[in-house]
Amino acid sequence: MIAARNLTRRFVDFVAVNRITLDIAKGAVCVLLGPNGAGKSTTLKMLTGLLPLTSGSITVCGLDVTANPRELKRRIGVLPEDLGLFDDLTVDEHLLLTGAVYGLSKKEIRMRAGQLLHALSLEHGRLTFAGACSHGMRKKTAFAMALLPSPQALFLDEPFEAIDPVTSKIMRDLLVAAARRGVTVFLTSHILSVVDQIATQVVMIRKGKIVWNSPPGDLPQSLEQHYFDLVETPVVEELKWLGPARS
Amino acid sequence: MARTRAILKALAVAYRRDQRSLESVAGNNFFIVTALLLRDAGGFIYLLIGLVLLFPLSTDPLRKIPASRLALWPIETGERRLLRLLSPWVNPVSWAIAGLGVWAARGKLTFGLWGAVAGVFVATFLLSDLRYTPGRAVWVRVPRFPGRWNQLIRKNLREIVSTLDFYCALLMSLGALVCRAMRLPLPPQFSLAITVLVVLALSSYTQCLFGLDGAGGLARYRLLPLRGWEVLAAKDVAFLVVAIPLTLPLAPLAGVAAALTALAMGHAPSVNRPRPQSRWRFSTGAGVVSGLLHAIFMATAASSVYLSSSLYLLPVMAVWAASTWHFGRRLEAPAAE
Repeated sequence: MIAARNLTRRFVDFVAVNRITLDIAKGAVCVLLGPNGAGKSTTLKMLTGLLPLTSGSITVCGLDVTANPRELKRRIGVLPEDLGLFDDLTVDEHLLLTGAVYGLSKKEIRMRAGQLLHALSLEHGRLTFAGACSHGMRKKTAFAMALLPSPQALFLDEPFEAIDPVTSKIMRDLLVAAARRGVTVFLTSHILSVVDQIATQVVMIRKGKIVWNSPPGDLPQSLEQHYFDLVETPVVEELKWLGPARS
Repeated sequence: MARTRAILKALAVAYRRDQRSLESVAGNNFFIVTALLLRDAGGFIYLLIGLVLLFPLSTDPLRKIPASRLALWPIETGERRLLRLLSPWVNPVSWAIAGLGVWAARGKLTFGLWGAVAGVFVATFLLSDLRYTPGRAVWVRVPRFPGRWNQLIRKNLREIVSTLDFYCALLMSLGALVCRAMRLPLPPQFSLAITVLVVLALSSYTQCLFGLDGAGGLARYRLLPLRGWEVLAAKDVAFLVVAIPLTLPLAPLAGVAAALTALAMGHAPSVNRPRPQSRWRFSTGAGVVSGLLHAIFMATAASSVYLSSSLYLLPVMAVWAASTWHFGRRLEAPAAE
């Protein structure tokens, strides 16, 4: 469903993504893990056609991302890094816009939007302008926009960050249910506990290179420990000026 | 005192960085043309500019500090009062009002005019301290449009009415309407001239069509399965929905010609060099040369339609359509970042 070959993105002298090769099967939930600046969002932007590749090739839903950008947009749902919301549209209007642009009937849009607003606890804020929404509400709106057109593949950039636990659970369940219906899910995250619960494929990236790619069951140790060993070891700095430590 | 001084210093830096009103005026088509070409006849227009400009400049600098931060800082009640007392002086308009007061005392300015200016400043200053946005609820009620561009056009309309260009154009249009209603003796070609000025006042917005969408909005346009020309056309329809009613009491066909010309010329800077735009400021155009060219072509198109034949609208529409198509294709290309 998603195939990337030798994917590279260079920003002048800096190589953000370095010859990544990745295969994600239909109905899989693939989670890309890595520290800030590792190349996660850059990879996601290239996979969705938001950012041109320096070299390499990508096929999503059987389409070459570079050659068929418009057809690709019809088949995928995306929650981008900056959420892609308009300050001058309400939560409700964002969903109406998405449905209309993807060619859904008014009745279908109303039905889907109503269900999504209810599921994501957005009903009370449906008439709030995105510019006046909390970060969590904005993220939920962008998530609903990604799901509403019933895409074949979902690309989500850090969907669970800044989300309350109940909504996080609902979002996880929605993603798992979508995957069971054959939707391929690709997401980036920092929250390892969430990854543990929904991922069918774990990919770790460090300095633009993949350092691990397997189903979670193939990890030789806990996800957290493996992440610390392969990607980033936590450094504990003792801040003595905070005062003497109690025994 | 050291804490108050540190906060005031930070406040002055933040206030200076955000004070883009004068910069936006410097790059605004309307102000460029009135400053360069209408110096003799521009007294009334300058008065309008001064009035409209006073609103965004009259904000309370203390608003720059988030209310929660101000509440959390360990500052004493006396320091808080001192801050309240001194912070208005971070705003240069406070000094200007004080200077005008001295002038009024010396008899170089009437107390009535000084009182009016100071009154507008104080009222806007106090209103700016209310931490809510009253206009938002009103903007829900913009008209609906048929088709799948409906929400995009509504959003674009809300964006246009949150720039000061619109209010400047509105004041001129209303002024012309009052002149007509009072049957004042008007010079020939009054309608044409004011029509061009009204559209000129709006035209800088056409050079930064994506300014209020932000980076997130641009990303969304690229994700939606819309052609680039559709995105631009939704912007243009919203602009025409504003421009046509404003020129209705004047020369509407000439207004359409001027508006389409502004849009056709504005696509290039909007797409090639998208610039951020602040709300409740004048739109920043693409520069002096571009502003003058805009004015010349708009005036030419409007006067051709008004003085010669309405058929001149056809080539204007053709140029607009070609520009929309061409720059729509540019818009579809992935961002280079």
